Amino acid sequence: MTLQQKLFTVWTFFVINMRRLFRDRLALFFTFLFPLIFLFVFGSLSHSNSTSLNVALINESHSPVSKQIVTQLNKDKIIKVDKSITSYADANQRMSRGEIDATIELPASFGDVKDGTPAGQAVVRYTGNNEQAAQALTSLLQAKFQAINSTLVVTHKPFTVTSKETNEHSLSAFDYTFTGLLGFSILGAGIFGPMNVFPELKKMGILRRLHTTPLRVWQYFLSTMMGNAVTGLLSVAVMFAVAVSVFHLKVVGNLLELAIFLAFGIIVILGIGLALGGWAKNERQVAPLGNIIVFPMMFLTGVFFPRFLMPQWLQGITNYMPLTPVIDGARMILTEGKGLLDLGSQLLVMAVWCVIIYAIAFRVFRWE
Amino acid sequence: MSEIILKVEDLRKRYGDNEAVKGISFEVKKGEIFGILGPNGAGKTTTLEMIETLREIDGGTATIDGVDVAQNPYAIRGMIGVQPQTPGFQDKTTLTELIRMFAAAYGEKVNPKEFLDEVNLGDKADSYVENLSGGQKQRFSIVAALVHNPKVFFLDEPTTGLDPQARRNLWKLIEEVRDRGISVILTTHYMDEAEVLCDRIAIMDQGKIIALDTPKNLIKDLLKRGFKKEQHVEQANLEDVFIDMTGKELHT
Repeated sequence: MTLQQKLFTVWTFFVINMRRLFRDRLALFFTFLFPLIFLFVFGSLSHSNSTSLNVALINESHSPVSKQIVTQLNKDKIIKVDKSITSYADANQRMSRGEIDATIELPASFGDVKDGTPAGQAVVRYTGNNEQAAQALTSLLQAKFQAINSTLVVTHKPFTVTSKETNEHSLSAFDYTFTGLLGFSILGAGIFGPMNVFPELKKMGILRRLHTTPLRVWQYFLSTMMGNAVTGLLSVAVMFAVAVSVFHLKVVGNLLELAIFLAFGIIVILGIGLALGGWAKNERQVAPLGNIIVFPMMFLTGVFFPRFLMPQWLQGITNYMPLTPVIDGARMILTEGKGLLDLGSQLLVMAVWCVIIYAIAFRVFRWE
Repeated sequence: MSEIILKVEDLRKRYGDNEAVKGISFEVKKGEIFGILGPNGAGKTTTLEMIETLREIDGGTATIDGVDVAQNPYAIRGMIGVQPQTPGFQDKTTLTELIRMFAAAYGEKVNPKEFLDEVNLGDKADSYVENLSGGQKQRFSIVAALVHNPKVFFLDEPTTGLDPQARRNLWKLIEEVRDRGISVILTTHYMDEAEVLCDRIAIMDQGKIIALDTPKNLIKDLLKRGFKKEQHVEQANLEDVFIDMTGKELHT
């Protein structure tokens, strides 16, 4: 057989298996909708715990100044006032549960006129765990009061400080969540896919039958790789559309470079699935081994928690896990605008894994 | 003398301490149906699997049309068609697509309709295999194994589990394959099947061939040795009744 004939074989298998996938509702659900469910759940979570301070506001004063402050705080973007809390008891309970960060108290005497000008002292109450939040809140309130003070008392201010937002886009929690979920979807499709499908094909004697033909293992792997890369990228595209339209993901990098990079990532991770599924005689044999490999990757490579939260030594180890460079690289292209040429170290780690994983996959493959 | 297509010499297979195939030799001619009979565990399937390149040959040689099986497994796979005991095909794939895939596995592009018409499955071209009856599945499985026009066709217990109509229909189909000049090698547990269908049979027991001849000669030899069976002259049997009442044609 010529090489051209062999590639014709690969192409035919790829085309027919793609058609088959789109007839299989269950497979479509797990390929396209399942990752979206995770995207919605984790997307809403990371949106709600952005950098705002959740506080209770208890106002016992009836002065005009206090009312002015209350309306100002209710509109504030950083200080989020939970209006449902009206009593100290409720506020204390919520603080101890960690539902709110602090309580702002405007005492009854707040805003009473003394010596011709209104005056008063607001109190920020917090629990020991929320010292940082309380300090941030105190300085925010101080800044607000300063503005009010300067309208009441004319003072000369030789030194001032002002803050300006830079144009540089920094990473939000959602950026980490999104690339983590890309990793999750690649992990699911690449490992659990072949891990479940191959033993099934063996049980039905389908692979055994193919084994009686001149079909080579590499042809079979290649057609599977092409199928997985295409469905993987389609699934990523759907997640992408939702992330941009619903969660306002800011895309800085080049999408074509991202697609090429992710296709490589999908192929590396798929190799693990091909090795496991190709080796296993039945599902029961492969499930524990699959979990041993998948779970550490799920929790240590930045799928659910950003890796910068880990201690340095753990980051050092997890740098070299096969999924880590995929997630890091995707984030660097997507949100930092890096190109493939800037991802040398990620690509190197992926290439080394690719060689190791596929060497094992070819060696352990069994047709029945 | 017709030409020899498969030549097996002193073929051996050992699993641990147990020698499953103990040096068997036989030849299969071009265009004959050759049956391998024997009780379970006699080594029939192991023998077939060694010739089909699925199992390593521990000793002896097998050559198909002059090509050594152990040395050129990929060339051999292009020359043989294999029908496994339970034909398994992937689901949600049409018969047309499956034929295309099998042809592609041999690097060939074919017109699936032609092949499906050959076994009366033309109108099922767009159905999935899981929606076929047992007999249809068997016929499809046979045609799928012949897309590349092999020289030798192997069938492992092809009619197990089929109803009498489907069984007879399959015999006819196997004879048609033989008449195209393809050598057919099959295993079976049914003696009537071997008697009707096979040009020659080998009987295996405990890893050895204990008899090899045409069914007629084997029966003649037995009678010559003075074997007598209780005589019942019946003009028909229950199967004849069944076929007469339900028709010889295929129920689809």
